[in-house]
Amino acid sequence: MTQAMDRTLKALSLVLSYPTRALQQAMPEIGGVLASDTRLTAAARRALRPLIEELGGRDIYDLQETYVGLFDRSRTLSLNLFEHVHGESRDRGGAMVSLVETYRDAGFDPVTSELPDHLPMLLEFLSTRPFVEAQETLADAAHILEALNARLARRESSYGAVFAALCQLAGAKADKDAVAELLEEPDVDPDDLEALDKVWEESEVRFGPDPGAGCPQVRDMLARMDTPVNPAPGSAPVAAE
Amino acid sequence: MSHLLDRLNFLQSNKLEEFANGHGQVTNEDRGWEDTYRNRWRHDKVVRSTHGVNCTGSCSWKIYVKSGIVTWETQQTDYPRTRPDLPNHEPRGCARGASYSWYLYSANRVKNPLIRGRLMKMWREMRKTKTPIEAWTAIQSDPILRKSYTSKRGSGGFVRATWDEATEITAAANAYTAKTYGPDRIFGFSPIPAMSMVSYAAGSRYLSLMGGVCMSFYDWYCDLPPASPMTWGEQTDVPESADWYNSSYLLLWGSNVPQTRTPDAHFYTEVRYKGTKSAVICPDYSEASKFADVWLNAKQGTDAALAMAFGHVILREFHIDRQAEYFEDYCRKYSDMPMLVRLEDKDGSLVPGRFLRADDLDGKLGEENNPEWKTVAIAEDSSTLVSPNGAIGYRWGEKGEWNLEEKADGKDAKLQMSLILDDHHDEVRGVDFPYFGGAATEAFTTGDKRPDVLTKNIPVKRIKTADGEVLVATVFDLFCANYGVDRGLGGDWVATSYDEDVPGTPKWAEKITGVPADKIAHVAREFAETAEKTHGKSMIIIGAAMNHWYHMDMNYRGVINMLVMCGCVGQSGGGWAHYVGQEKLRPQTGWQPLAFALDWGRPPRHMNSTSAWYAHTDQWRYETLEAGEILSPTAPDGDWDISLIDYNIRAERMGWLPSAPQLKTNPLEVAKQAKAAGMEIPAYVAQQLKSGELEMACEDPDDPANWPRNLFVWRSNLLGSSGKGHEYFLKHLLGTDHGVLGKDLGEEGRALPKEAKWHDKGPEGKLDLLVTIDFRMSTTAVYADIVLPTASWYEKDDMNTSDMHPFIHPLQAAVDPAYESKSDFEIFKAIAKKVQEVAPEILGKETDIVALPLLHDMPAEIAQDQVRDWKKGECDLIPGKTAPAYIPVERDYTAIYDRFTALGPLMDKLGNGGKGITWNTQEEIDGLAALNGVKLDGAAEGRPKIETAIDACEVILMLAPETNGNVAVKAWEALSENTGREHAHLAEGEHHQKIRFHDIAAQPRKIISSPTWSGIESEKVSYNAGYTNVHELIPWRTLTGRQQLYQDHLWMRAFGEGFMSYRPPVDLKTITKDVQDDGDNLVLNFITPHQKWGIHSTYSDNLLMLTLNRGGPVIWISENDAKAGGIVDNDWVELYNVNGALTARAVVSQRIKDGTTFMYHAQEKIVNTPGSEKTGHRGGIHNSVTRAVLKPTHMIGGYAQQSYGFNYYGTVGCNRDEFVVVRKMKKVDWLDREATKAEAAE
Repeated sequence: MTQAMDRTLKALSLVLSYPTRALQQAMPEIGGVLASDTRLTAAARRALRPLIEELGGRDIYDLQETYVGLFDRSRTLSLNLFEHVHGESRDRGGAMVSLVETYRDAGFDPVTSELPDHLPMLLEFLSTRPFVEAQETLADAAHILEALNARLARRESSYGAVFAALCQLAGAKADKDAVAELLEEPDVDPDDLEALDKVWEESEVRFGPDPGAGCPQVRDMLARMDTPVNPAPGSAPVAAE
Repeated sequence: MSHLLDRLNFLQSNKLEEFANGHGQVTNEDRGWEDTYRNRWRHDKVVRSTHGVNCTGSCSWKIYVKSGIVTWETQQTDYPRTRPDLPNHEPRGCARGASYSWYLYSANRVKNPLIRGRLMKMWREMRKTKTPIEAWTAIQSDPILRKSYTSKRGSGGFVRATWDEATEITAAANAYTAKTYGPDRIFGFSPIPAMSMVSYAAGSRYLSLMGGVCMSFYDWYCDLPPASPMTWGEQTDVPESADWYNSSYLLLWGSNVPQTRTPDAHFYTEVRYKGTKSAVICPDYSEASKFADVWLNAKQGTDAALAMAFGHVILREFHIDRQAEYFEDYCRKYSDMPMLVRLEDKDGSLVPGRFLRADDLDGKLGEENNPEWKTVAIAEDSSTLVSPNGAIGYRWGEKGEWNLEEKADGKDAKLQMSLILDDHHDEVRGVDFPYFGGAATEAFTTGDKRPDVLTKNIPVKRIKTADGEVLVATVFDLFCANYGVDRGLGGDWVATSYDEDVPGTPKWAEKITGVPADKIAHVAREFAETAEKTHGKSMIIIGAAMNHWYHMDMNYRGVINMLVMCGCVGQSGGGWAHYVGQEKLRPQTGWQPLAFALDWGRPPRHMNSTSAWYAHTDQWRYETLEAGEILSPTAPDGDWDISLIDYNIRAERMGWLPSAPQLKTNPLEVAKQAKAAGMEIPAYVAQQLKSGELEMACEDPDDPANWPRNLFVWRSNLLGSSGKGHEYFLKHLLGTDHGVLGKDLGEEGRALPKEAKWHDKGPEGKLDLLVTIDFRMSTTAVYADIVLPTASWYEKDDMNTSDMHPFIHPLQAAVDPAYESKSDFEIFKAIAKKVQEVAPEILGKETDIVALPLLHDMPAEIAQDQVRDWKKGECDLIPGKTAPAYIPVERDYTAIYDRFTALGPLMDKLGNGGKGITWNTQEEIDGLAALNGVKLDGAAEGRPKIETAIDACEVILMLAPETNGNVAVKAWEALSENTGREHAHLAEGEHHQKIRFHDIAAQPRKIISSPTWSGIESEKVSYNAGYTNVHELIPWRTLTGRQQLYQDHLWMRAFGEGFMSYRPPVDLKTITKDVQDDGDNLVLNFITPHQKWGIHSTYSDNLLMLTLNRGGPVIWISENDAKAGGIVDNDWVELYNVNGALTARAVVSQRIKDGTTFMYHAQEKIVNTPGSEKTGHRGGIHNSVTRAVLKPTHMIGGYAQQSYGFNYYGTVGCNRDEFVVVRKMKKVDWLDREATKAEAAE
């Protein structure tokens, strides 16, 4: 079954890719696609404009330096979605396997050296799927998209608009608690002092009067271990079968 | 398909069948849900690999792969068995290793080759019209262009590049450098080959083919204990961890086994069930302290005093009051204690001088060959002077008597240890010993007012020599006096009771170390008593901590003395266990030809890193330690009043230490000049050096002709972890923002060096190009010009060995390297290929001249029995004798790739070998040709291929005696020729044993016994160092051929280290009035141990580890110090001194001893580090407040065991004597604002 490509999702995949001269040349066309999609509000489309202009007009080396600084170098802005879900836990391998199998089941093989959870790759894939399905997947990742949007906004980066647009396309409101939780994640950028302090905080040790209560650190740790691991966004449809 | 339709929701059949007498029941439930679990754990393949980091673990892991993605990993448990009565090795592999495996998909990975944006833009612009060489030349010739990217190092600004571009720039830079300045301006630093030996070899092979410089690591990391080469002529050799289980008394000294040797710690736990006692010496309440039966919390930096008191007790109770038969017999045979020492006149007093040599005597005791290198003792039966077998003079120029049989001149000779009996000595004389205890700085002083020279009575004998009568004494008699043991000879400074406060006694040590005297005596007694009863099964596991002090040799020699006095070295379950720095590359002799391209040209350019970085990062320009402060009051007359770099220059000039660069003039040019002059190269260089036409580069490190120009850093985080004097690296080598707070010698108006040329302004930005190869964005990568992404541990084929277990272990490519990364082998292969393409524009076949120092284990190790400097006219300049050898080496820059990928013909011609022996290896070369195939064309046509990393592994495995039984037999036979004894039985039955890469992939394999190492692999004993010396009577590779406790080199005597003694930490004067702010009164000793939250000394930017360890850099301080500084737990603090500043959180803990602060190794500034108020830049790393300080005794060369070897001997980068000011930060600034206009305009 062939599916007409969702040019908006494809366009968003492109603007999130490493800037090249080819991309710069294609920016007028890409900008046109994004400007005319009524699934996005006028405000969202307007918000995308600065990025489109930058990508089209700025010195390519500046663009590349910015891109590397943001997405290659900052862990909290990683475009690998599972970085935000699984971090360096072993679940990440399994989640990626599920995702790559989803691509394969749909008739695609990844051909670049990017990992399957690379957001531009996922967006390209979703651009080939019925919009309802794409929306469902994006909705699953809404809290990550929202968090990246917030982090980019904090850095006053024009890339934030892409994530705002994706949230809109997802149609679902991101779970506020999940977003907050992500934003509380230890931030490797030295920007976020408060979040950092949170990580440093240890629970207070109390001796007596209830010796049966045990060590609070162990209790907290056990509680955390009992919390189920978040499902990976891409693997959700598989698990539902 | 839904299971809902098949399943009963509300009802259950009551007609279920039963079996097993009603214990079992047959159900008809749908079991489809189980598939979820089956699929979840399904995988396509399982691959064996390990975490090849700077860790001695070498633990086996199973890597599960599904759809080309690593899904999880578990510990592998199939190590080869041990033997009855010994626990098995598994399980190995710790939680830290497991957490790091997810680095594979981490957001910290470097995904693409990265290049500094400004450089990339220039390069592409230039390349439109220019060749690669022309483009690089244009950039380097324009100071503004060059500075536009060098000054931005460390400030971000990377763009992605293709492999083609990245390798092209690198190749062009290397070729340009070789042509313009000389190939010895291309440096490469990579540590610890044992952890991934092919990855190391890839870079060092490339560098060696180019003529570049391979830099050492073991000495620079200060993991090399120079005491080991001094005593044993051995870099480091230690028991495997399984041998702890054979021990009866374990003394852990500054080693934190449970924390830093996690996979091995089980042997330590297990042996305690057998009844083995354990004492732990550690200033803080460490993890290991919790295992102790006795914990001695000695003050940091005073270990030598403790060791001396232990030695005092052992001598008193086991050698003097009673002579333990086993100890006495051992010391006579295996130590230098019976050797005679000449007592020399120093201003009317006697001081211990050189060993008496056969050459000193009339008739030379009949020794024609090397009599000046044969030491002399008294034979007990005949009371005559003899030259016992085994001295180094027997090693070279003759065969058959270099062994430890109790013989001299073919006759039995039982040596006499002491002249104490009345009829054995001619008189009792006072002999001067230096005493350094009174020279302690404020933090270490005990108010000791003793003189700096202590005269003690010694039984001496008069002997007629060729130049008159001299007095001699045995090492043993001097040794006892040095420990302050009263033997009834009268006189001062000796004690009969432990309660007397005399240097050497427990009472004396109590004052210095804080350890109660009775505890000291108790532990010493137990240690020795156990060793006596078990014939040496007392062991000391020693940690890097003690080796990181300026006077580390005193600590280590104190410990070694104890072991030798108690006959523990070379005995299973006993001995010296220094597990530091992962030095053990087991198949070493198979690896060296590959790693240093010995198959194409010899010798390679090796450099001791400490001296190189000291010079090239200009740390010498800030040197505060003067030779006079460390010189002995008993020093023989001499020109000692020079600065530390001057000592290093003299050492290089006399051929003791290597140089890099070597000559100020490009060696390729010098070779041409020699040819034009019609002279042989060595003669030409000697003539030109003497006339002053040629200069050694070391004499003027700041001249642009002598700068290192290109630097490769791979498998290492030089700038984030090991770079002592970090801020000096940034300032002078890189030329970027730095935090150096102090002034140089010129600005301070201090005495300038005499030998090193002084420039008023120190150069900044010496490097043209820094290439970092890593799989993560390390601190070093952040400062690089080019970052090349490399494969991680599950993405490459390689091999790994450890000193902790006897196996050789593979790393395997379970999956392809992620993103654009390639393995180190493929990266250097690609660079080699580019060089072959671009270099011929300016370079062809060239003659290079390599300066080679006087090497250990080569005949040159007996080149200089006297210290003479040719430049001062004390002798002629004879290359290879009084100066470095100057050796022509042919390079072919048009065939670098062809040579890189094939085993060259020199192996056929010169054979293979190591540690003083060689063997023919033609069979193995033929074997490799059959196994790997041969090159069909090109410059290496017909030679065995090394085109893949597995080919490279096979080269190592085929050539090494440890992995090829045939070679092992040849190697033992070659050694037999030297010793005159049969050794091949050690490899008996192994003749046909051949280990291949696929064998170790199936299961880690135990290696075969080889003469490269001093222990053996067998069914009967665990691996233990010194075993073959004691049991096969193979001499130690020292002057006396024995474990040498007395060091008689002129410089050793001058600096007061003939014997060990307690030397307090030195004063580095890093807290000056200028730098210390008013109100900052908390000054602490700065210690950098290994941590719990990183693998050994490696990465701390892993999220799991950071979460466990407070998420960023921390320092530890005691409760009392915290209170004094107004600091509470978790406060941000700043630490500073003249070297720089760092910022961290404070952990306030009872664990820490007052007066010290800990900062764990390698917490990086890429993680959560705010700005420093002191420097205005981002807070530094632990090495921001350190600076390397050289020690002249480590520069000695051409003198038996004190001769240069790569990672074997040389200056070391100590850093524990450092003090810092600690203060609470007023305001935490994350430096996260936009650059100011002024900054942006730059």
